[in-house]
Amino acid sequence: MITLELLQLEFMQRAFIAGIFLAPLLAVLGSFVTLRRMSFFADGIAHASLLGVALSILVGVAPFGGALIIGVVFGVLIFLLERYTSIASDAVIGIIFTTGLALGIILISLQSGYQPDLISFLFGNILAITWSNVWMIGILSAGILSTVILMFKKFTLTSLSEELAWTSGISTTYVNLLFYVLLSVAVVLGVKLLGIILVSALLITPPVTAKLVTGSFRSYVMASVVFSLIAFIGGLFASYYLDLPSGASIVMSASTIFIAVLLYTKILKKS
Amino acid sequence: MNALEINDVSFEYVKDISVIDNVSFSIPEKATTILIGPNGSGKTTLLKIMIGLLEPTSGTVRVYGKKPKDMRNNIGYVPQKLYFDKTFPITVMEFLKLADTSSEDEILSILESVGANNLAPSRIGELSGGQLQRILIARSLLGKPKILFLDEPVSGIDISGEQNFYDLIKDIQEKYGVTVVMVSHEVNVVSQIANQVICINKEMLCSGEPSEALLPEVIEQLYGKNVSLYKHQCK
Repeated sequence: MITLELLQLEFMQRAFIAGIFLAPLLAVLGSFVTLRRMSFFADGIAHASLLGVALSILVGVAPFGGALIIGVVFGVLIFLLERYTSIASDAVIGIIFTTGLALGIILISLQSGYQPDLISFLFGNILAITWSNVWMIGILSAGILSTVILMFKKFTLTSLSEELAWTSGISTTYVNLLFYVLLSVAVVLGVKLLGIILVSALLITPPVTAKLVTGSFRSYVMASVVFSLIAFIGGLFASYYLDLPSGASIVMSASTIFIAVLLYTKILKKS
Repeated sequence: MNALEINDVSFEYVKDISVIDNVSFSIPEKATTILIGPNGSGKTTLLKIMIGLLEPTSGTVRVYGKKPKDMRNNIGYVPQKLYFDKTFPITVMEFLKLADTSSEDEILSILESVGANNLAPSRIGELSGGQLQRILIARSLLGKPKILFLDEPVSGIDISGEQNFYDLIKDIQEKYGVTVVMVSHEVNVVSQIANQVICINKEMLCSGEPSEALLPEVIEQLYGKNVSLYKHQCK
C-alpha cells in the first residue's frame, strides 16, 4: 500500500525508473573500478563535470547535456595524460578535477542570482529529473551495459593485468579508452541522481560490500548489482518517508548495508 | 627454422642511456633457450621487446618472420609477477576462461598437465607463488602458442619447488613441441633444461650451446670476479 502510494507520485516514478537503470550500471562499472583502483577517477569526473553545468547555464541550454560532454572530454584527457606522460595517475586526476571545478566556479560566479540547476547537480535532486532525463538515462544506461556485457572478458582481463591482456591479443589502449569513456558517461548520469559530491559512493560501496561475501567474479558482479538496487530503493523510501535529501539517503543506505555485511562477516569469521 | 630473430636491437628508457645495446641473436624452433644475466642487465626489457610489449629504440624483432605485435595469438607469456588485488574474487577457472574460448574440459586438461587440476575452484588471490606460476603457464598454453616466454618463473618459488618447476617446463616443451624462451638470473638452470643460452649484460656476451658458450670468463664478465672465484674454489 505504502509502495503504491509512493509510486503514484510522478516525480517518484521518474526517480524510480532512473534509479532502476542507474544502480545496476554503476554497480557493474564499479566492479571494475574497484579492481582497477580507479575510485578517484570517478570523483574527478564528477567534480570536473561542474564545468559542463556552468557552460550550459551560461549559454542557456540544459545542463545535463553539457555535463555529459565535458565529463567525456575530461575522461579522455585523463586517459591521454596517464598513457602518454610519466605523470602519476592520481596527480593527473587531481589536476583535471580541480581545473574543471575551478573553471566551473569562475563561470558560475559570472551569473547573478540563485542557480537551482547548480544546487541539484552538487547534491542530486530527484525532483529535478525530467522525463527527457529519464529517457536519456535509460537509453545510455542500456547502451553502456550492453557494451560492458559484450566486452566483459576484455574488461576483466585488462583490469587484472594489462600485460596479460596485451599478449592475449587485446588492444589494451582501445579497451581502456572505451572503459574511460563509458565510465565518464555513467558517472555524469549518476550525478543527476546523487549529485557531484556523492555519486562515487554508489560506484564503490556496493562492489566493496559484494567483495566481502563472494568467491567468484560472476557472483561478485551480481551481488554488487543486488546491493546497489537495495541501497537505491531503500534510500529512496527513506528519503520520501523521513523527508531527507534523496542522494544522501541512497548513499547512507549503501553505507548501512556495507557496515552490516562487514560486521556479519567479521562475526562469522570469529564464530 | 628460427622461431625468433633479433637484429641490432637497442633500447633506451631515457634518451642516450642504453639498457640494451646493439644485440643480435636468433632462437631455434622447438628448443629451450635461456637468457641469463645479473639483476639489472636488461633481460626483462629484452623479453618485453621480444613479445612486443616494448618497441626497440632501433633494430628489428621478428617472431616466425613477423612483428611480435602481429604474432600475439601465437605467443604465450608468463610474467615474473602478476600484480593484482589479492582480495579480488575471481576463481582460477574464471581467470582461465578469460584467456580464450576454451571449454571447461580443455581448461581442466591443461590444468592437469601443469599439475594444478585441483585448483580450478580456488580464488587466484589465495594461491601460493608456485601455484600461481603453474596457473599462469596453464593460461599461456590455452592459446596453443608456438612460442612460450617465461620471465624469471621461479622467482616466487622456494628452492625445493624449483626443480619440479624446471621438470614441468621440460615436459611442456616436449609434450606441446613449443619453443621456450626463459629469462633467469641463475646460471645453474642453464645446464638443467637449456638447449641454447644467451648471456646479456646490456650487450650480448655469449650465445650458443651451454657447454660451449658458458665459459668461466663469460660468467666472470656477467657476475663479477667473486662468482668465478667461488666456483674455482668449489672445484
